[in-house]
Amino acid sequence: MSATGKLISVRRDWRERDVRVLLAALMVAVATVATIALFASQLQKTLVSSASAFLAADRQLESENGQPIPSAWFEQARSRGLQTARMTEFSTMMSGADRFQLVSVKAVGQHYPLRGEIEFRSALDQPEKTVDEGPARGEAWLSPRLLQLLSVKVGDTVDLGRLGLKVSGVLVREPDGGFSMSALAPRIMMNIDDVAATGVIRTGSRVNYVALFAGVETKLEDFHRWLKPRLGPSHEWKSVRDGQALSQSLEKAERFLLLGGSLAVLLAAVAVAVASRQYAVGQRDTVALLKTLGVDSDRIARIYLRRLLLWGAVGIVGGVLVAIPLYVILSEVVASALDRPLAYEIDPKALLPALLTAMVSLFGFAYPPLRRLRTVPAMQVLRSQPGEAGRAGVVDAAIAAVAVFGLVWLYARDITMVLSLLGGLAVLLAVLAALGWLMVIGLRKLSGGGSAWRLALLALYRHRRASLSQISVFAMTMMLACTLILVRTSLLDDWEAQLPADAPNHFLLNIAPDAVDEVKTFLAQRGADVDRLYPMVRGRLTELNGRPVREAVSKDRNINALNRELNLTWMSALPGDNRIQAGRWFTAGDKTGVSIEAGLADRLGVKLGDKLGFTIGAQHISEPVASIRTVQWDSMKPNFYMAFPPGGALQNMPATWITSFYLPPSRDAVLNDFSRKFPTISVLSVGHVIDRIRTIINQVTQAIETILLLILAAAITVMAAVVSATLQSRQREGALMRTLGARQSVLVGSTVMEFALLGLFAGVLGVMAAEAAVWALQFRLFEGAFRWHWAVILPLPLISAVLLAVLGRWQLRPVLRVSPMVLLRRLE
Amino acid sequence: MTDTTFMTGTSAQFMLRVSDLSHRVNLGHNTLTILQGVSLEIKSGESAAIVGRSGSGKTTLLGLLAGLDTPSEGSVELGGAVISVLGEDERARLRAQRVGFVFQSFQLLPALTALENVMLPLELGGLEAPEIRARELLKRVGLGERLSHTPRQLSGGEQQRVAIARAFAANPVILFADEPTGNLDNHTGQAISDLLLALNREQGTTLVVVTHDERLAGRCQRHFSIDAGQLTESGATPA
Repeated sequence: MSATGKLISVRRDWRERDVRVLLAALMVAVATVATIALFASQLQKTLVSSASAFLAADRQLESENGQPIPSAWFEQARSRGLQTARMTEFSTMMSGADRFQLVSVKAVGQHYPLRGEIEFRSALDQPEKTVDEGPARGEAWLSPRLLQLLSVKVGDTVDLGRLGLKVSGVLVREPDGGFSMSALAPRIMMNIDDVAATGVIRTGSRVNYVALFAGVETKLEDFHRWLKPRLGPSHEWKSVRDGQALSQSLEKAERFLLLGGSLAVLLAAVAVAVASRQYAVGQRDTVALLKTLGVDSDRIARIYLRRLLLWGAVGIVGGVLVAIPLYVILSEVVASALDRPLAYEIDPKALLPALLTAMVSLFGFAYPPLRRLRTVPAMQVLRSQPGEAGRAGVVDAAIAAVAVFGLVWLYARDITMVLSLLGGLAVLLAVLAALGWLMVIGLRKLSGGGSAWRLALLALYRHRRASLSQISVFAMTMMLACTLILVRTSLLDDWEAQLPADAPNHFLLNIAPDAVDEVKTFLAQRGADVDRLYPMVRGRLTELNGRPVREAVSKDRNINALNRELNLTWMSALPGDNRIQAGRWFTAGDKTGVSIEAGLADRLGVKLGDKLGFTIGAQHISEPVASIRTVQWDSMKPNFYMAFPPGGALQNMPATWITSFYLPPSRDAVLNDFSRKFPTISVLSVGHVIDRIRTIINQVTQAIETILLLILAAAITVMAAVVSATLQSRQREGALMRTLGARQSVLVGSTVMEFALLGLFAGVLGVMAAEAAVWALQFRLFEGAFRWHWAVILPLPLISAVLLAVLGRWQLRPVLRVSPMVLLRRLE
Repeated sequence: MTDTTFMTGTSAQFMLRVSDLSHRVNLGHNTLTILQGVSLEIKSGESAAIVGRSGSGKTTLLGLLAGLDTPSEGSVELGGAVISVLGEDERARLRAQRVGFVFQSFQLLPALTALENVMLPLELGGLEAPEIRARELLKRVGLGERLSHTPRQLSGGEQQRVAIARAFAANPVILFADEPTGNLDNHTGQAISDLLLALNREQGTTLVVVTHDERLAGRCQRHFSIDAGQLTESGATPA
């Protein structure tokens, strides 16, 4: 290889520590971002497919007007490559043996369910198994409760209208079962082709016709675009994303992954910048010599640009090669947690953020110091010349900041996230400036002396510029890592708080006002405490500020809440997990006003004081918006879009009451007693919904923890980069001190203390800045309540101090191992 | 490489002609004068020594003569080209073609071997068969057996030999040496001086050397001394 070729070869570069650190930082960045992106896209698919089971499809179209869904729509969907299935739901009386019972019928067609499985037993005492199709014609599957209520067993015949159906199985769980309020009565599942023969559906019967669709996302969206203009007011198009209980958890998890990715980007940028600057400083003599030998500045620029591109290529390829096996391992972990096979798929689109990260790190952070090498004066070869101009540094920093936050924005598409992180960093820099000033004032008075403490403080003061820049990088790293730890902790705590082990797993609906006390007593006697009962009035939102609501709201918005009757309530106390976002909650004397859920208010564009008109049966009421409140849909407690004050407009409307309670699964028999005693009250079991949400949350938790580990690895790379940046000068200093007679113990003591102090400062600052960032993030993105995280705030600065002390001790190793003369010569 | 501003060394009467050269450094609140009204003329093939105390402005003068820096006032003419008005890149081209350097601290690239360090200017100048020429030169300076050693594996004297080989590699018409023996012991310094002057004679190169080493200065044809930024010629030794 020629000398010039060797001068720009990556193999030779690899021998230089700064290049190694830069390449390592780049690889970690690419690997982390690529792993997160690959994994997030995989997780997204898994979660959606696992959540799709809630619909038994990817999308549902429900018709509540008693009109079947036109066959042409199914044909259209199939012609677009989608799978379809039909389902009809209605309530009716049925008989078995000598008893009658109001039942909720689910009649399913061929191919049902398109997603998920039906859990089923061939008899009550047989083990559960899963099947992927419903009952054959002439047969029916009954829920265990219905079998008991009717006193029938598998093999018996039950009558539904004019048709006799043979009970051929026990329906344990349907994939899309149970979280809609229509499934009130005990369930029977039958074949859709038998429905006509029962004769129970007549004109005007209250029947839900449901179309199920499954297929790839783009085709589903295309079909929806085709379908949209054809939909009437009673049609409701449902996707997993609309299922509030789940989608909130999913969105939080997704945001966490994006936040993790963004932090990886920031950390990598910091590491690359530090390593590149250090490398550039080391290259100044070489550049001066090359200039002396006649190389012009354009050629210098080309030489270093070529190197940078080579490093970029090595970093990207290396990073992707690390990311792929990591991704496979992560997927395996999640797959085993999920008990379902997972297909690995390297989505090239998921690699794009990694490439962009590498490019921004290289050109925003690594390139500026290298670009400035072209301005190194040839005179440097004779005599050391002044370093880089400060102004150039500020411009570069500004460009880099814009680049990296642009990247974070592009990546997370969330301005709040970008601003929160930027805000946290701004707080950090402000405090650092103050700290620098304090250091100059406070440490100046120290005079020399032999103790390790004094030497450590003096070293901090003498290298105050370097110390401050090190503290800033360490603090920034601490802040980013700590932000993620805090958000993770809050996220998991919030989930845990929402779904404690005794989260309500049963709802009671249709409780008549005079039965409220009786129900309470009945359940209390059997150890099931009902939390709180709410009155419920069914009504439609029809007007906004005197105009029909559909005219008042943008036509492009398909707001499901406008397509159906809403559950309205009145209450005096705000439920514990609701929070007032605007306005104020009702006080004792309030008789007017309505409180609206924040998400719906946002979709409708409703503000405080707007008048909402409701149609309840034949009556019409109109009330101004008194408050806007957030609701925890995933709390498994009754939640309401609209709440009125007691004694307000709803008071005289016909109401039933609703509540939820927890009953251990082993005591399900209580429900049968309950149904016999209160035949008109509907019991809705949501235990399996909770189970599934828990599974998904566990899975997401695992992913979050893994990503946290990746980020911490990135953080340690940054720390190593910074420590390594000053390694040589510190070793030289150490060797000199030993030459001048410093005892080993003093040398070790002062170095360890200096680094411990650096770590402590950085830790305190990092934690403060992280709390600031988390406060902003928590408030807007994760919608959890902010609290101080003492469990993290207190130990983290100490951990940081110990970590850096160890790093400091480690870099002193060669100084202690070999004679100062050998070391000085080696470092020449 | 075309060059319209440069006359070949042999056709110019003076290889180096400096008139009324001054150099000042702006320190913010005041200005420091480092060189004041320096003039000198050196003919092609001559050897000249510039001596002076530390801080007298020697190194600054050398940098200006070699076109590493530009003066505040006055002109520097190198081989007929007024280099003091040329831009950094034009001066770099001129250095690549005509100028060689030897430094007190050797300035070898630590990652390259002795052979590669010598090949570097040849490759940068686009010369043919760089390796053959580099091997010859290293053999000439007595390092024929140390070709693949890196600077760290060589003694100070050996490193300076490599630097001298590198300086002569691209056939410069003028060679600037900044304290070439400054980092070496007497004996080694003597050997390096011998080598430098011998090569200078063999190649017919003009030599300008800044030094503390009186023996080396005494072996040059012309002697200049510099004090407080003022240059005076203190006599000449017959060639």
